[in-house]
Amino acid sequence: MNLYEFSYGIIHWLVDLVNHLWYWLGDWLPWALGDFFTAVGDFAASDGHLSVMTMLLETLIIVIVALINVLNFLWIFRKLSGRILDFYGPYYVGYRIGGWLQNLADGMKLFVKEIIVPAKADKVGFLLAPIIYVGSSLLILATIPFSENFGLSTNPSGEYVPAGALFAIAAFAIAPFTILLAGWSSNNKYTLIGGMRSAAQMMSYEIPLLLTVASVFLLAGSFNFVDIVDMQHDIWFAIPLFIGFVVFLVCLMAEVEIIPFDLPEAEAELVEGWTTEYGGMRFGLFYMTTAVRSYAGGALATALFLGGWHGPSFIPDEIWFLIKAYLVFTVFMWVTWSLPRVRIDQMLGIGWKRLLPLAVLNLFIAAVVKSAGWV
Amino acid sequence: MAEMWVNMGPQHPMTHGLWNLRVKVDGETIVDAEPEVGYLHRGIEKLCENRTYPQIIPIADRLCYGSSMTWSHLYCMTVEDLTGLEVPERAEYIRVVAIEMQRIASHLMWLAAYAGDLGLSVGFTYTMRDREVFVDLFQALTGGRLTYNFPRIGGVAHDLPPDFDRDAIRAVDYMEKRLREYEDLFDRSKIFMMRNEGIGILRKEDAMNLGVTGPSLRASGVSYDIRKDAPYSVYPEMDFEVATHKDCDCYARYKVRMVEMWQSCRIIRQAIAEMPKGKWRVVAPRTAPEGTGLGRVEDPRGEGMMYVVGDGTDRPYRLKVRSPIFVTVSAAPKILVGYKLADVVAIMGGLDMCIGETDR
Amino acid sequence: MAEAKGRTTGLVARPLWRTGKQIVRTLILGRPNTVLYPHHKLDLPLGYRGKHVVDFKRCIGCGNCVTICPNDCMWLEKLEDPELGKIERPGIDFGRCLFCGLCVEVCPTAAIHETVEFELADHERQKLRSGPKELRDDTYADKIPEERPKRSLPVLDLSKCTGCEKCAEECPEICIAMMPIEKVERSKPEITLAKCTSCGKCVAACSEQALTMMDVYDSYFDMPEPKLKLAECTGCGACARACPADAIYMLEMPGTEKVLKDGKKGKPKKRAVFVLEKCVGCGRCFRACRFHAIDMPGVRK
Repeated sequence: MNLYEFSYGIIHWLVDLVNHLWYWLGDWLPWALGDFFTAVGDFAASDGHLSVMTMLLETLIIVIVALINVLNFLWIFRKLSGRILDFYGPYYVGYRIGGWLQNLADGMKLFVKEIIVPAKADKVGFLLAPIIYVGSSLLILATIPFSENFGLSTNPSGEYVPAGALFAIAAFAIAPFTILLAGWSSNNKYTLIGGMRSAAQMMSYEIPLLLTVASVFLLAGSFNFVDIVDMQHDIWFAIPLFIGFVVFLVCLMAEVEIIPFDLPEAEAELVEGWTTEYGGMRFGLFYMTTAVRSYAGGALATALFLGGWHGPSFIPDEIWFLIKAYLVFTVFMWVTWSLPRVRIDQMLGIGWKRLLPLAVLNLFIAAVVKSAGWV
Repeated sequence: MAEMWVNMGPQHPMTHGLWNLRVKVDGETIVDAEPEVGYLHRGIEKLCENRTYPQIIPIADRLCYGSSMTWSHLYCMTVEDLTGLEVPERAEYIRVVAIEMQRIASHLMWLAAYAGDLGLSVGFTYTMRDREVFVDLFQALTGGRLTYNFPRIGGVAHDLPPDFDRDAIRAVDYMEKRLREYEDLFDRSKIFMMRNEGIGILRKEDAMNLGVTGPSLRASGVSYDIRKDAPYSVYPEMDFEVATHKDCDCYARYKVRMVEMWQSCRIIRQAIAEMPKGKWRVVAPRTAPEGTGLGRVEDPRGEGMMYVVGDGTDRPYRLKVRSPIFVTVSAAPKILVGYKLADVVAIMGGLDMCIGETDR
Repeated sequence: MAEAKGRTTGLVARPLWRTGKQIVRTLILGRPNTVLYPHHKLDLPLGYRGKHVVDFKRCIGCGNCVTICPNDCMWLEKLEDPELGKIERPGIDFGRCLFCGLCVEVCPTAAIHETVEFELADHERQKLRSGPKELRDDTYADKIPEERPKRSLPVLDLSKCTGCEKCAEECPEICIAMMPIEKVERSKPEITLAKCTSCGKCVAACSEQALTMMDVYDSYFDMPEPKLKLAECTGCGACARACPADAIYMLEMPGTEKVLKDGKKGKPKKRAVFVLEKCVGCGRCFRACRFHAIDMPGVRK
């Protein structure tokens, strides 16, 4: 049973329950009002309404699963960082589960902090930037299915969005604008510098990312996630497109802004970069969004390169997908804590001068592999 | 964009210690720089005028809390020069072991702060973990972890604890193994080299004219080390090399300090092997004669000097401290001009600032 | 060695290898390097300089520790103890203390020690001042191995000495010299402690038992010695009462009796006599004398 059928079942049951009460109420009331109630009840039970509500419930389920995974990601981030740096990670909060509740505790702490809006800041931009940033990051996860049965589909047969991968990459690319907006509207010299650096970095690393994803589209022959994953049942795309995989991972690290590419929020020079003026849960949202984006990036890498949900059948498909996404994240952590920060001009140099030719080379390899019929 | 003065202000995560660096940036490039020190002035030289000679030793420790053994040793050497006291040989050997251990610990702390500023947090925790080994050795030897109050006028406070030889050799073996591992993290990392090669060039003539001493001078190719050129204590009997490097950039300063750590390990092994038995302390006279005393040592940061004027009583009339970083920080405009704002961290971090001794 | 540069093969391969080994080590093979304080605490070596303890029985109340503290964080407090009577013992302000250990080194009777206790924080600054009663621990010195070297040395009680010179004759090292005391028709033995070999012959020779062998701790600090200006001494005895080490004796000067109005002779005047071997250099005699008869040369106020 796929997610659509599951949600449809719940919504149908719920609407039936409410309609029982509703129709009974309508029978009680006199003529015109009673007819009105009956009409509303009929509308609620109609196909169109049910499918819209089903999709909303699907989205809610997917968002909840994503956020729980984000909590896991944050826990892995702190615990693994601690172990690499030779100390224990979070230990006491949630003692028996290895300190998993520490992030919840930190989130609660952020809720009770005072939120200050600078007097001369541009209020609309200041308030809007985190909303769009978080929203667009969660939007990426909308179209990535965890398995054939778990994903945002629009009909009972489980068909997913036809250009799902394209939509995901497009949603990925909204972020630079929001960062620029946040940095500029804070009315602070340092956040402005941080915001501009960040926007430059993100935009210059989008291009190799898109080229690499384009090579995957070429090999798979479709923009649909399910088709791409199905084409990988023999061999994962990471093996013929190994250069592309490495370029993809490096560009992801630059998009998510972790060391070695975290100059926009480098503590050593600019105190917190473009998020300096944000306090309380607004700052918490930015921190959480980094985890959401790395999760989304890991999920994308898994779906596009690492064979999605294919694996031995003793573990269900969704768990395989998550295991592979977590593995990609672990590689990110490993690289983050091994390398120093790259300077901004060197970083742009890497993006344009080294990664772009490699991505083009990868495209060429993909074309060769496809036309020789090896995949 | 117009040129603007940016304050890498007194409160800043990067500046080790409390000082202000004003840089004039044109876009991202630095055009001029102006350091401002004095935020940490504690009046140490005036404090010393009202205390007896033994009471000043803990205060001399706190001049540079990053390498405190050097400064208290320097003070004891200066007063011994003033009073003409002969220190027993065992005490000199113990002092040399302690100073070289302090040199390793100070360089490790520098490396921790340097790597942490560049973004390599792993460098921070690994070097601090290795520094703990030496700090534990100091804890067993002197009783303190950061400021020791160990040298005395006339020797050292007490003898080596039992098993110290074995523990020190173990620590030195461990350190040499770790130094080879640090090469992996730093020398073989392309990004570290990108941040350090060709950055912050201080030419030989500029370095000598500005009075820069220590590893920064040796990284510009000048082989000047007070342990070889004006030797004190038992250094004439120690066999070691002076580390120099011909590139004058940040990588050279890093490499010079790593080689110095190797040589310190060598010196510690020799000192422990050749340590004579005997007294570790003689009674120093309470009053100092009228006259002057001068001491010069090779501090991990450069050349430290102290000058004491005695007036026949048991308190000094004047104590003057010459700090190496006070002179090196004045080289900031020369080194910083022409590089990017992001390089300030690497360059000023590479000079190993300790504001305690700068501001006294 | 300083000239060779490493090759950065693989750009990032070696740092990743190093960190990878670390991950395996802390996740699979063992534990990280840190300690879960405050649930596990590290063992500190015995020489660690932490909170002080004062042994009331050994302390003589000289105040050397108070004088030598570089930061003026100690004071002497007058107490009444049921066993020891009216005594003065030191208290420490841990808000100012440097934990340098100079007070421990300078104490002539090894009465003050530093333990390994370092958790001294408090919410109020006043609570950081520890009076002598809070620092008292009379059994600490028995629990730790004796660190300071001590010697058995002969100690003179001048009130019993008759000046018979037998001790000076018996001493094999010739460390005892009989020095005449001005205006008192007697000489007292002055012992050069540096040459003494603790043989004990002088103690055995003395018929009045004025000499006793006592364990005295070596001192590496050169403490100031008082000098008496005889012309100003009035024999009031304030210095003898102030001296914590019993080093000052008031001796009568024969021939200085005043003739009273009814023809009787009054009491002879007294003068202070120092037994400098016992002096700990605390300077209380200097501060007690109101007639400026005692001078501490070299000490600048």
